[in-house]
Amino acid sequence: MSEPLIRLENVSKSYPGTDAPAVGNLTLDVYEGEVLVLVGPSGCGKSTTLRLINRLIEPTGGRIYLHGEDVTDMDSSKLRRKIGYVIQQVGLFPHRTIAENIATVPKLLGWDKAKTSARVDELLELVSMDPAIYRDRYPKELSGGQAQRVGVARALAADPEVLLMDEPFGAIDPITRDRLQNEFLRLQQDLKKTIVFVTHDIDEAIKMGNRIAILREGSEIAQIDTPEVILSDPADEFVENFLGSGAILKGLTLKKVRDIELHDIPALEMPVMRDEALKVLENSPEKTAVLLDKNHRPLRWISEASLNRTTQPIEKSGKPITIDLQPEDTLQDALGVMLQSSVGMAVVVDRQGKYLGCCSIESLASLIISDSGGQAKS
Amino acid sequence: MDFLISWWEFAASRVDQIQSGLAEHAIYVVTVLSIASIVAISLGILTRRNPLARELSLAVTSVFLTIPSLALFTIFIPFVGLGFAPSFIALFLYSLLPILRNTIAGLDGIDASVLEAAKGMGLTPGQVLARVQLPLAWPVIIAGIRVSSMLIVGVAAIATLVAGGGLGDFIKSGLARLPLANSLESIWTGTVLCLLLALVIDIALQVARRATISKGIR
Amino acid sequence: MTLVTHPKAQRESLAEKLDIIVTPIFAVLLAIIGMAVWLYSDIDDTTRSILAPEKIQGQLIDTIILGFASSALVVAIAIPIGIAVTRRGLPRVKTFLVDTLGLAQALPAYGLIVIFFSFMGSGIVTVIFALATFSLLPVLRNTIVGLEQVDQAVIEAGRGMGYTKRQVLLQIELPLAVPIIIAGIRTAIVINIGMAALAFLVGGGGLGETINSGLKLDRNPAILIGAVLVAILALVFDFLSAVAQRYLKPKGM
Repeated sequence: MSEPLIRLENVSKSYPGTDAPAVGNLTLDVYEGEVLVLVGPSGCGKSTTLRLINRLIEPTGGRIYLHGEDVTDMDSSKLRRKIGYVIQQVGLFPHRTIAENIATVPKLLGWDKAKTSARVDELLELVSMDPAIYRDRYPKELSGGQAQRVGVARALAADPEVLLMDEPFGAIDPITRDRLQNEFLRLQQDLKKTIVFVTHDIDEAIKMGNRIAILREGSEIAQIDTPEVILSDPADEFVENFLGSGAILKGLTLKKVRDIELHDIPALEMPVMRDEALKVLENSPEKTAVLLDKNHRPLRWISEASLNRTTQPIEKSGKPITIDLQPEDTLQDALGVMLQSSVGMAVVVDRQGKYLGCCSIESLASLIISDSGGQAKS
Repeated sequence: MDFLISWWEFAASRVDQIQSGLAEHAIYVVTVLSIASIVAISLGILTRRNPLARELSLAVTSVFLTIPSLALFTIFIPFVGLGFAPSFIALFLYSLLPILRNTIAGLDGIDASVLEAAKGMGLTPGQVLARVQLPLAWPVIIAGIRVSSMLIVGVAAIATLVAGGGLGDFIKSGLARLPLANSLESIWTGTVLCLLLALVIDIALQVARRATISKGIR
Repeated sequence: MTLVTHPKAQRESLAEKLDIIVTPIFAVLLAIIGMAVWLYSDIDDTTRSILAPEKIQGQLIDTIILGFASSALVVAIAIPIGIAVTRRGLPRVKTFLVDTLGLAQALPAYGLIVIFFSFMGSGIVTVIFALATFSLLPVLRNTIVGLEQVDQAVIEAGRGMGYTKRQVLLQIELPLAVPIIIAGIRTAIVINIGMAALAFLVGGGGLGETINSGLKLDRNPAILIGAVLVAILALVFDFLSAVAQRYLKPKGM
């Protein structure tokens, strides 16, 4: 194993007046390029631990190393300019534009205007926000999801190696949260930052983490390992209880839609005539086809029966497709979507919403069965 | 130290004057506060639904407060003469804003769901006002009355300049006689008594507050 | 992306608009009353001499200088204290200061000016100090409140990104507290201009002199015109401050 990028060595934090330390003698290594998730019940000290890394909270004992260098005593403001920090309430500066917000650390580090400006645009694109529209807007004009995207962009501005994230998606509605998580995972694939991520949600931890540290009170590590190992081999009762029931189902969050083979059903792109559609369906072993619009985006499920039942134009036959899956969605999400669909399948689309293929319950089921056969009994 | 002694002597020998000065001053303040409270609270209640009327009354009462005390006291003299009248009018106009503003803020700050529940239980708007809104807004309203009282106790000292009496008389006569004997003592008497009166009124209002606010929202 | 406007925000901009309209209207009304008195009442020689233009002009300037000088003094003292007192570790000092100064509001300004006079002699400097004492509270309290209402998440984000404590204060806390602080300064300016009218009591000049002469010589027109002038002066400065308040608000708030 290579040298850890971040090392907390025997770090502790006690507050005067309380007996039990918030963080008691913790030794933790974070390796380059990994996403380490700190997860645990409320009050266990995970946020405190996170903030010990960038010394927003000063340790009362122990040393902190970054890249092998002891940073426990260095100027804390300087340290933080090298570390990206994202918090739940975002904390965008309301009196500054989005561009100015993102440019904060580059400006502190003395970057020149042109370089900063280019970087701002680059980052806005990275988080899927059109720079031309958002550069000069103010935080009060953004929705919660957009604000957090800017928060992430702002943290990445000076290209830090390390990113600290404290329940970043906690204040966001579940649908947007899901989307942001997926986008973030995509981003991480490209950027390969070293990330310490705090959450209280075990599902989020499983989805986002390369390694998970399950913490007890006092930030004591109950188990620290990959999600697969933790799920199949929980270290003790505390971990088991924290995982909750349904480990197999939770295991579904480990695999993504892109991990299974997409089902190939006939795809009909508009404009297409009813007769043509009927012919295609007749000739195919499948019972259902998917109707796409001119831009290759899924519109409806079409079956032979639905076509025959009506004289309506094809755009009105069959059932409308209202939800879709993306390759980054977990199989757990996929299961939910497929169960809701009347045809037992779900369409998978890419970032632009274009049709990629279908996910069927059968392929999911066979995957679960083949997987659980290879898992140790718990 | 010497000053304190001579001050004590001064005060001790003028107990009557001090009593009448205090009484006059207190009457000013208490009368004005009572009438202004009624007017301001009513205004706050009446305008609570109409944003324009509400903002307008706030703007106008705040203009009164912007007008310097000397000007406000003297501007009515040509119309009502000297003495008690112009002082009273000026103090009244001054004390409106804090009470009005707090009445509005107090009524505004009530949880909408409480009002909804009251309405849903069948209380008429009048009953909602009397039984729910005013009691809940009362702490904030009283805070406004306290601010007003602080404000006008000090300003009322100026009444002396328009022959209105009050504690300002001590200050005026002291000033006129500087640096003769007892002048400083006279000035300090007027000044400090104002402060004491303010404290007493504030404590009285705090007691009233405790007595009239339900335990549940204290 | 549409701007979010909810009823409270709308009400606030109605208040802002009225703020800037009602004051000038009153000033104009008062001016009309003043004019009417000047034109239609009995102006004898005594009155004329009280209201001599050069005199009035001089008093006007004196009053303005007094008002501004004391306001400047107050700002220079109160804002640093307000900042110091809101830093971590001084909550008791803060409560103590606010409570004591709150009590000071009840001190009659009249009395204060005279007391300062007895120690410092007559003149402008005395009045400036007296007024500064009186108007200290609004600026101090608003500085404290303004700084305390800054969203903690924004401060945390700032610290987390690497701003030093000083940078957080100067670039985040103060700019975001500015609207409230300016409201306090505006109150102080109005108080000071108003109280400056009392400067005549201790030989400080100012428009109060005209009113006083009118009172002593029993000339109602002089009293009224003097009072009207003082009132208009205060209203004008309130209006100017309100305009400044509007335009100094940071964009995006």
